[in-house]
Amino acid sequence: MIKELQELSRSLLERGVVHGILGYAEGASGAAAVQIFITDAKDVDKLTWNDRCFSNLAAYLSRAEIKQRGKIGIVVKGCDARALTVLIQESQVNRANLHLIGMACDGVSEPWAAKCADCDTHVPAMVDDVIGQASGSPQASKERYGAIRSFLDEKSPAERMAFWQEELARCTKCYACRAVCPMCYCLRCIVDKNRPTTIDTSATLKGNFAWHITRAFHLAGRCVGCGECARVCPAGIDLGLLNQTLAHAAEQHFEYRAGCDPEKMPVIGCFNASDQEDFIR
Amino acid sequence: MSDAISHEALMALMDSWISQGRAVAGPVALKSGLCLYLPIVQSKRLRLDTSARPRNSIKEFLFPKHETLCTFAFDGKDVEVADAPLPETETILCGVRPCDAASLPIMDRVFQWDDTDPSYAKRRELTTVVTLACTRYDVYCTCTTFGYSPSAHEGSDVLLVPYGDGHYEVFCLTEKGENLFNGAVQPLDESAPVPTGPDKRFDTEPIQAFLRDQFDAPVWSEIGARCMSCGACAHVCPTCHCFDIVDEGNATTGRRVRNWDSCQFAMFTMHASGHNPRSDQAQRQRQRIQHKFRMYPERFGSILCTGCGNCTRNCPAGLGVLHALATIDETIAISQDKANS
Repeated sequence: MIKELQELSRSLLERGVVHGILGYAEGASGAAAVQIFITDAKDVDKLTWNDRCFSNLAAYLSRAEIKQRGKIGIVVKGCDARALTVLIQESQVNRANLHLIGMACDGVSEPWAAKCADCDTHVPAMVDDVIGQASGSPQASKERYGAIRSFLDEKSPAERMAFWQEELARCTKCYACRAVCPMCYCLRCIVDKNRPTTIDTSATLKGNFAWHITRAFHLAGRCVGCGECARVCPAGIDLGLLNQTLAHAAEQHFEYRAGCDPEKMPVIGCFNASDQEDFIR
Repeated sequence: MSDAISHEALMALMDSWISQGRAVAGPVALKSGLCLYLPIVQSKRLRLDTSARPRNSIKEFLFPKHETLCTFAFDGKDVEVADAPLPETETILCGVRPCDAASLPIMDRVFQWDDTDPSYAKRRELTTVVTLACTRYDVYCTCTTFGYSPSAHEGSDVLLVPYGDGHYEVFCLTEKGENLFNGAVQPLDESAPVPTGPDKRFDTEPIQAFLRDQFDAPVWSEIGARCMSCGACAHVCPTCHCFDIVDEGNATTGRRVRNWDSCQFAMFTMHASGHNPRSDQAQRQRQRIQHKFRMYPERFGSILCTGCGNCTRNCPAGLGVLHALATIDETIAISQDKANS
């Protein structure tokens, strides 16, 4: 698949179809693959593809040095392609300025691959090129939102509160979760505002709860479950469990799943008189 | 003749410290693949093999991620300010990696510079550091490049070196250390094997010269392009110590607090005027490396890095000090090749 990716990239650059390719390069031995942005066809040999290509490259699309190149190619997994669809729905990227190179993905390796256990987009949709074929690995067999459903069904509210108090106590407010999230593109994040201060910047239980719950709510119906927030958290907080809970709620109550249909209005961006309100008590 | 302690005796000793009302902390295997320095209430929670390096550092026990400096209350036009009480609990950090302990003498220099930080000084006084020599290292471990080793003494009160059979050789390096292990050690004939660390990764002198003489080198743009501007590197680093001071409260009472900051945040150097002297990530990345390897050494005589590798290990984009220095090293090599050809 790597050769195919490199050849396609060379062709796209040489023909002037794109003016840059945002992809993955080898990281340190055994470590995650890293982001690379190449603008010269002779650099395509640096592009790679393996089971350590964790990052969601859509998070780099707002960078000035990338935007100013005009039309670019971007290497995406299924989860990344869904993130791009959300960005397109929210008018953050122009689809016409992107050439999506979809990589068939059987999952990225443990121990960070909880997100892959219930993935159903092994072959990215709505892309311009697809490289490789998914093998339909056993990882696809788990039910989506299984972990969230057991957490909500099997634990009482008091137990869940105790769980989150212990998890979130370790947060140091590094905001790595925000930095890697393609959906966190606000030029001025609410936590950086201080006239007035809405969310304490302190890494107290109050400040940490306020930050993570606010971010989870801001991701309602937008989080595609790419798993990056949980992977990068230096404190190992199970952020996927928190951020995907509202994704589960959006599907359950509004039959809406982020990033699957660029024509659909985002669930928190529209209102119908027939929307159920029985959960407001 | 060596002093030694068995693993069981060490655990019992630790439990006795806990029952005496001292705070004990050390490496805890929290979940699969995650080891962190955390406070413990039972010795068996501690993980004393060095197969996994904690993802955090021990600095939070001396320089907490959040700390109240003072409290205030308004009464009409008057305000009453009260200093926050200083900590009183004795703390023992056990199973600390030598690269983490080595950060303490380095940070002492800035926290006890022209003024002594009362909170840091008090915690330093109340804390005893028991280090565990590393018998394993990973691709990120770089202590030897900066003059340290898997059994370095810097910052340690007691060094434990594993024999490999469930015993540790005990080196009490300070009076605090002697007081802690008094009567707890047994004599053994042999010394524990001295663990070897990784080979030196690069020469620091040419890198420091590069930082001094080529401030505007284009290498920083490449590094900045990948950096996502979070604070992970600064927060997991044993020697990073930048902080933000904010007031929290309401119209009548509040607290002035100190929180960990990071020079990689976009807002780090934002002025009230709206001007930001380090407005792009290349400048911010350059600043971190310059501070650690040129500015701090020029002022305080030591590199602001112990080679623990935590920054690169935790970086979402695989950057950190190791990547930056390796890139500079490569840049120097390329320009030397050009000069020689």
